[in-house]
Amino acid sequence: MTGARGKTIVLWSIVWFNLIALSLPTIIILGASFTSGDIVRFPPDGLSLKWYARLWLLDDFKDAFLRTLYVSVICTIVSIPAGTLAALALTRYRIRFRTAIQVYLLLPFTIPLVVSGLGMMIVFGEVRILGQLWPVGIGLCCINLPFMMWAVSATVNALDNNLENAAANCGAPPLQAFLTVTLPAVMPGVITGALLMFILAFNEFLVSLFLTDARIVTLPVSIYNSIRSVITPDLAAVSVVYIVIALFAVWLLDRLVGLELFLKSK
Amino acid sequence: MSSSDTPSFQYPLSWRILDRAESVAGLWPGRWSSLTGYLFLVPALLLVFVLVIGLVYIFDYSLHELDLSTYRLKDAFSLVNYQAALKSVTYRIVVLRSLGASAIVTLITMVLAFPYAYVMVRTRSSFTRKFLLISLFLPFFIGQVVRAYGWLIILGKEGLLNTFITSLGLPPVKLIYNYPAVILGLVQYMLPFAVLLLAPAVTSISEDIELASEGLGANWVQTFRHVVLPLARPGLIGAGVVVFTLTLTDFAMPEILGGGTTDFIANSIYDGFFQISNPGLGAALSMILVTLGSVIVTVVFFLAGTGTLVSTEGTP
Repeated sequence: MTGARGKTIVLWSIVWFNLIALSLPTIIILGASFTSGDIVRFPPDGLSLKWYARLWLLDDFKDAFLRTLYVSVICTIVSIPAGTLAALALTRYRIRFRTAIQVYLLLPFTIPLVVSGLGMMIVFGEVRILGQLWPVGIGLCCINLPFMMWAVSATVNALDNNLENAAANCGAPPLQAFLTVTLPAVMPGVITGALLMFILAFNEFLVSLFLTDARIVTLPVSIYNSIRSVITPDLAAVSVVYIVIALFAVWLLDRLVGLELFLKSK
Repeated sequence: MSSSDTPSFQYPLSWRILDRAESVAGLWPGRWSSLTGYLFLVPALLLVFVLVIGLVYIFDYSLHELDLSTYRLKDAFSLVNYQAALKSVTYRIVVLRSLGASAIVTLITMVLAFPYAYVMVRTRSSFTRKFLLISLFLPFFIGQVVRAYGWLIILGKEGLLNTFITSLGLPPVKLIYNYPAVILGLVQYMLPFAVLLLAPAVTSISEDIELASEGLGANWVQTFRHVVLPLARPGLIGAGVVVFTLTLTDFAMPEILGGGTTDFIANSIYDGFFQISNPGLGAALSMILVTLGSVIVTVVFFLAGTGTLVSTEGTP
């Protein structure tokens, strides 16, 4: 087991175990959503698309879906400038107390989500915006912002300082140099970050649970509420919506920046 | 076509827009240019400040006792909530259960994630690499609730595994609403985080060093133990800290797969606010969780270094 063959066997057995653990829930949900029976059981009672057909008739689902989309778009739109500019400031500009600011900007990751969620629920309640939909998007942006900054800083570090100097030397005023040299150079980071922000906002459950109520419930919270009662195939069909969106996001990320980007060492 | 009074030449629209923007930007005085970086930081600082105010509010809540006659928090400061939280046997069990789960989940996740990251980085086949990456990102992009739901279908009373067991003529086994189910769900949830944090660390280890080790007669287990793992230490620490703290503060998995039998701290906080309607007690538990997490992370960083989490790069 200590030879080269042993290494392959041991490592790949663990990898296969991981692959099964990672994909089993997804595959099972896909399977369960196509059953023709009224409950999820094995083997399924038969194949049908009736749960998908029923999905489109459910106004509750459609509304929750659209609300989730709205919230995720707000989160992404706010986080693109906020995260990109902060990452540029920390990597390209002379900033005093840089380390302190970095630690501060990592607070969204160090404060537990349950505490952030409750805190924002209280703050939003105090300024009387709790119960509206747009603050949920802002809240999701607050808790995931480091992802955006991380994605942009990863590309800024690869950007050559001299490019901006060259632009200035050629007579480009600061804004033009920023828009035509700096921004295009960090674009892969901005795209990666924006995609992460969108998909994480679309999935975020705990903070959404605190910031929404029955009138403005979003999809992850509504799935959670339905899980508590009884397991029916319509819930599996709703979950498949998530699987499809995740597939699309992975494809998009791979097309735009390449998944191999995440393997690079800094 | 063109009459004599319209100019025959115009700069392109994008140039004119840029000029206009440039003149607006010119309003920012040149001698303030050293402040531009700080200006860029303002939106992010404000967004994070929302969380800071929230934390301050929770700290304030935790210092006020619940008035049982009005169900509001009293005006007077007191440490009653902390005393109640620290004396309670229930909460002590919850804290120990969360800490234990964090340790177990971190250990299992690292053992599973490191080989995955290693194979993914070292494989010669770009197809294998892509396949492993996609298998990792797909669940990462499917939320915790949906994944927990998938596990419910597999482990439930009439789920996949129990159908299989009963078809063999055996009695059904209770596979959900217990500690192992929560651990399983959490490990599966943490795997993508751990692998994505470990992969850059593996990439930074030169393959030549491994070849040198093997050339000197070490087998792969010895190479792993004495060369690869020590070199990957910063990545292992970073990933370990992230997995540990994410598990310690998790809510959804213990709630959905534990079914109320295996509450973590976050579940107790939620119940404090919404079940027993005592925001003061919930807030005190929140502060205990924040303190616990910070102390553990600080101790790990002090003993083992900050790993890959705090970057010292990017200084201009």
